[in-house]
Amino acid sequence: MLRVVDLVTAYGKIEALKGLSLEVREGSITCVLGPNGAGKTTLMLTIAGVLRPRQGAIEFRGEPIAALSPHAIVARGVALVPENRLVFAHMSVLENLHAGAYQRKDPYENDLEKILARFPRLKERASQDAGTLSGGEQQMLAVARALMSRPRLLLMDEPSLGLAPLVVEEIFRIIAELHRDGTSILLVEQNAHMALKVAQHFYLIEQGRVTFSGSPGSLAEDELIRRAYLGSARA
Amino acid sequence: MIDFLQNTLDGLALGSSYALLALGFTLIFGVLRRANLAYGPAIMLGCYCATWAYLKTGIGLLFLALIAVAGSTLAGVYVERLCFAPHRKGAAAAAMVASFALWMQFEELATLALPRHLYAFPALYAGGPLSLGRLTLRVESLVMLVAAILVCAALWRILYRSRFGTAVRAVIDSPAAAELSGISVSAVSLQVFALASAIGGLAGFLIVSGNEQVTPMLGMWSTLKGMLAMMLGGLGSLPGAIAGGVALGLREAHSQWYLGPQLRDFIAYLLLFVLLAVRPPWMNTRSAY
Repeated sequence: MLRVVDLVTAYGKIEALKGLSLEVREGSITCVLGPNGAGKTTLMLTIAGVLRPRQGAIEFRGEPIAALSPHAIVARGVALVPENRLVFAHMSVLENLHAGAYQRKDPYENDLEKILARFPRLKERASQDAGTLSGGEQQMLAVARALMSRPRLLLMDEPSLGLAPLVVEEIFRIIAELHRDGTSILLVEQNAHMALKVAQHFYLIEQGRVTFSGSPGSLAEDELIRRAYLGSARA
Repeated sequence: MIDFLQNTLDGLALGSSYALLALGFTLIFGVLRRANLAYGPAIMLGCYCATWAYLKTGIGLLFLALIAVAGSTLAGVYVERLCFAPHRKGAAAAAMVASFALWMQFEELATLALPRHLYAFPALYAGGPLSLGRLTLRVESLVMLVAAILVCAALWRILYRSRFGTAVRAVIDSPAAAELSGISVSAVSLQVFALASAIGGLAGFLIVSGNEQVTPMLGMWSTLKGMLAMMLGGLGSLPGAIAGGVALGLREAHSQWYLGPQLRDFIAYLLLFVLLAVRPPWMNTRSAY
């Protein structure tokens, strides 16, 4: 569904991605692990069109999308939930959701109802300014807003970052639900324990390159990764 | 007392023209976070198009209004594509300096087409003023007041009750998040420029037909009044622009009466200086759309 080939993205002279390749299959959850500064966020921003790659190709459903601007990539069916959430702080929760559906020409009232039913906290706060929400609620809103564009592929950049454990569990429950409903997901996550429960394929990236690619089983088998990302030796 | 009331009435009428100018200026500032110095000159060019059409064909006021609005809108779109679209991510100063260059271009264009310093513009209304008890009100002022109220109501509807308005406010709130929500920031800023310049063009038409004359100075004057009113009301807030415009008009009418016309503009800049020096709380708040 998504193919990233030999991607190089640089900030000035510093290359954050140094020839990275990966693939997301239709209907799967693919997870990218890696230490801070490995280039995970850079990868997400490059796929979403916020950053221009210096080299390499990004194909979505067989079509090159590397030179498009973010709004055009949303139109192709790829939506990013950014790391810093970026909700519209001075607009109400409901208006945030309408903004998320901006590109849709079809009536989306049904989808809006469904999404509000999936996020009951947002429904309670529908007319509140998004800036007044808690961190967890803003994360929910960022996810809900991305879903309003009815994406085929959802990019999620560390959705659990800085959230309380209960909220993290809720986020992962929603990720699993979305997957069950047929949305493909590319997930960047530090919380490998949680990611192991939902993802079908893993990539480990370090210093801008893929250093491991495999199933959850093979990931847990790998001694080094287990130590670095799962915290302890297997019992 | 009656003088005070009369001044207040005149100030309200004057202030509503400033409010219209400030609304356009503020819309552009809110969306781009950049001051557009060519805002007034674009309005002036629109009014010069109308003047030119009037001199050549002598067509009616309604057509002149349409020409002024269309001319200002086109000039505004030209400014956006040339100055602001290429500098969306770059330095704010580059866009501002570029807009200054277009200001000069518009002034040259206007004076090449119509070289005299002053041209007569047909009056909006030929009859005398209305009297309300001992107060008088020019019909032109009444039209200006009504136009300002209608434009505010329409703008509120557009911004808060339409798909386009949601996009505009999303871009004002966070351009990055707007792009990621599927909103083209480039398209929205072009449309906002067109809308703001159209509002400015209408204000310009009402002002020149009220004054019954047009000069190239209208350009600088409009940018200045729009900017001043916006700063009085708090940067980037639309209700603030209206309040700032009305406050500026009231202050001018009163200071002209009590201190004389020479001190009128001096007081305006003194007030601006004090505001910038003191920075009252409403000037620091981020947009209150």
